Amino acid sequence: MALSDLLRRLVLLAAVIWTAMTLNFILPRITGRNPIIEKLMDSADSGGANEYDFDQFVAAMNARFGFDRPILHQYLDYLGDLVTFDLGYSIANFPTRVGDLIASALPWTIGLMLTSTLIAFVLGSILGALTVWFRSSRLLGFFVPVIMVLAAMPFYLVGLVLIYVFSSLLGWFPASGGFVETRTVTSGWDFYLDVAYHAVLPGLSIVLASTGVWALSMRGMMVTVQGEDYMTFADAKGLNLRRVFLAYGVRNAILPQVTMLALFMGQVVTGAVLVEVVFAYPGIGFLLLRSIQINDFTTIYGVVFILILTIGFSMLIMDLIYPLLDPRTRKSRA
Amino acid sequence: MAGGLVVSDLAVHFPTERGVVRAVDGISFDVERGTRLGFVGESGSGKTTTALAIMRMIKAPGRIVAGSIRLDDADLVQMSDAEVRAIRLRRIAYIPQGAMNSLNPVLPIGRQIADGVIDHLGPQRDADLKALVAESLDRVGLAPTVAAMFPHELSGGMKQRVCIAIGIVLKPDVIVADEPTSALDVITQRRVMDTLGRVQEAIGASLILIGHDMGLMAQFVDELVVMKDGRIVERGAIRGVFQAPEHAYTKMLISSVPDITEGRSFLGTIPTPAEPKPATGAAPSPLVAFRNVSKVYGRDFFGRGGVHALRPLSFELDAGRSAIVSVVGQSGSGKTTLANILLGITRPTTGDVRFEGKSVAGLRGTAALAFRRGVQAIFQDPYGAFNPFYKVDHTLALPLRRFGIATSRRDIYVCMEHACDAVGLDPHLILGRYTHELSGGQRQRLQVARALMLNPKLIVADEPVSMVDASLRATILKSLYDLKARHGISIAYITHDLATAYHVSDYVIVLHHGHVAEAGTPRDVIGNPQHPYTQLLIDSIPWPDPDRHWGSRQSVEDDQRRLEEIAASHQTIVRSRIPGFDLDTAA
Repeated sequence: MALSDLLRRLVLLAAVIWTAMTLNFILPRITGRNPIIEKLMDSADSGGANEYDFDQFVAAMNARFGFDRPILHQYLDYLGDLVTFDLGYSIANFPTRVGDLIASALPWTIGLMLTSTLIAFVLGSILGALTVWFRSSRLLGFFVPVIMVLAAMPFYLVGLVLIYVFSSLLGWFPASGGFVETRTVTSGWDFYLDVAYHAVLPGLSIVLASTGVWALSMRGMMVTVQGEDYMTFADAKGLNLRRVFLAYGVRNAILPQVTMLALFMGQVVTGAVLVEVVFAYPGIGFLLLRSIQINDFTTIYGVVFILILTIGFSMLIMDLIYPLLDPRTRKSRA
Repeated sequence: MAGGLVVSDLAVHFPTERGVVRAVDGISFDVERGTRLGFVGESGSGKTTTALAIMRMIKAPGRIVAGSIRLDDADLVQMSDAEVRAIRLRRIAYIPQGAMNSLNPVLPIGRQIADGVIDHLGPQRDADLKALVAESLDRVGLAPTVAAMFPHELSGGMKQRVCIAIGIVLKPDVIVADEPTSALDVITQRRVMDTLGRVQEAIGASLILIGHDMGLMAQFVDELVVMKDGRIVERGAIRGVFQAPEHAYTKMLISSVPDITEGRSFLGTIPTPAEPKPATGAAPSPLVAFRNVSKVYGRDFFGRGGVHALRPLSFELDAGRSAIVSVVGQSGSGKTTLANILLGITRPTTGDVRFEGKSVAGLRGTAALAFRRGVQAIFQDPYGAFNPFYKVDHTLALPLRRFGIATSRRDIYVCMEHACDAVGLDPHLILGRYTHELSGGQRQRLQVARALMLNPKLIVADEPVSMVDASLRATILKSLYDLKARHGISIAYITHDLATAYHVSDYVIVLHHGHVAEAGTPRDVIGNPQHPYTQLLIDSIPWPDPDRHWGSRQSVEDDQRRLEEIAASHQTIVRSRIPGFDLDTAA
């Protein structure tokens, strides 16, 4: 039964991925812009090619990328290529493969975004729960409005403030980049320390901006849970307050948070575009932004495909582990 | 008097914007070890506040302003929070009201019994804990395997027994049970109360039972306290209180329990039913017709398995005559499924529901609108039935506009005022207020008004009085009865309360596991039941008479065995028929 269940989920996942891939195929194309021409216009502006070469070159490139073939063929090729993880060549950076572009950008994003999102999740959930539990505490009472303000601020705004204060004014941290650009050795402790040093401000901006969101939703859930009959009964049992808080309160309030975390995984990449732009961080959001600017659809396809997979699989993983967290979603064993 | 509880001059106040509410206003009582004390009163009488005060669980801003609660020589009122925590469960156990939600949904039952033991006695060896959990479950008649189950895997009665198991695990001196069975049907109620009584006797604790059901009190407690407005108005040994009630309020509480005897109607004077309006025009199709309607939940992809909530059922309700048809049964008998199918909320798995000759499943546009207008609902929970953001006039005006009954502001107000008058609500007091400012009884009557306003042909009332006080029950049922008598509206009355069904209905259908067990006029079915299931239901009603034995001579275990036999037999007994309602048992 568990196997057929898993199978059903996998089929559903495949359907979701296929739908998203199809949309992804159509959207850049209806803009009607040809990235090859735009790329050439760019180089043409800087002088060089003549009219005759230009047309010939466009035709050759169109043939190279298969844009001269019927749209249905292109679509089928597109599906086939992606499914076999053949992401092809970038149009804008022609000789470079999309796979390589992504491979060099992805670790940065995962390192920065995933870590800071998880930190924000844990920090926010704890803070949110505590503000409800110690309602009369002055210190925590002070946190609530702060949390609300932070939750309302977008990542990049926090980022700009941080850059201004800690980089421009105080000069404690670098304002941009993933590491010192002049560096030649890209491994070893020295390098990782440098990376961590560069990650402080962008990471902090994400943590600050999203901790508030997690804290607010946790706070809301905690308030709801506090009104539940089982909390009253736990109280009537004279249980340790710590147990009532953790095993009865937090344990139940955290459930919707976990679902939200899975949905948030997609945002880990897309929502961070602006942070990566503000900090000129060499991550995947930055790559996606550049590709969209010149409608480099092979790269867009590649990046979005990776995004779709991330979201799809994080939902699947969540589906699989959720029954461990919430027995009510387990299939009855009758 | 070791282990006894002595309460003197206890007062609990709740400061509100409109002044201090004296929820409990200087009451004194004591319970001796091994005895059972009952607290009755209507909502707001202070009985639950008294229970919470004994647990020292009054929530701020409410607080105990005076008095003492002595357990042996210690005064609970003077104790620190930590001291009180140590007393709870170990010496005074609390059995909560809403057993449905009183268990932590994410912890297995065994853990929820064990955590109290650990927190009060310190860490224990696993084997000892297991044995203790098993012993506690065994005392309430549950198998040790229940320890590994989660709350959602248990029925309501089982959950309530788990709550008792949790409460008695440390063999407390005092058990405070706050309406432990108010959400359960009579058969399950008798079983749970039987369990509670036996456990209490076995561990020799004293028991305080909070409730509103005079029948239950008569059958269960030794001594009764009647509360009204935070004060004790009467107190005495149970027999004495029932034989010679002194206070008018006590008399009212006793008399508001409907009895199943001829002659005395609990609804008071009932207007002579208006002659049913003769059907106009050609022979009309029946108002509602069920043809082999059934509902199966949880079927798999290939239509296998699943739970039969409702077995194939066929009936016709005539348009010309109005009738009140009661559908009675335990929780899980399929009565709410039937109500939801009637309302068009639930789609039947098989069969066809027709409203005025048209299949409800395919209704679109104006036909669907006519159906929605023609069939109105009155729900069980008067608190959840209204959108709290809107004032009453907005709530009532919405359907009037939606169905195009009245468009001008003036007409809308006339309609609303009529409807309020019809159910005995003063429109001037009601219309401008929010629903949360109304009492439960007012809200329930407002539901009747809302349904009535649309001039429907059928009203589906799902447990309309199970959440209101006994004294209001008669008023609300009377306004329902008036709908039939004065306005010619047919009513499907869904309830687990056979006594009220006896008084209001023209026809009764007893459902058991989605199957019609017995059907006929209330005089036949309830007054003289023939089907073993109906007999068991009526047998399990706690009568407000201490000398009348509760339940048959058989033990509750025998009842359980009987229930299983009945479920397997699928017997249907049709006792009698009435014109206007035709139950087809051919299928």
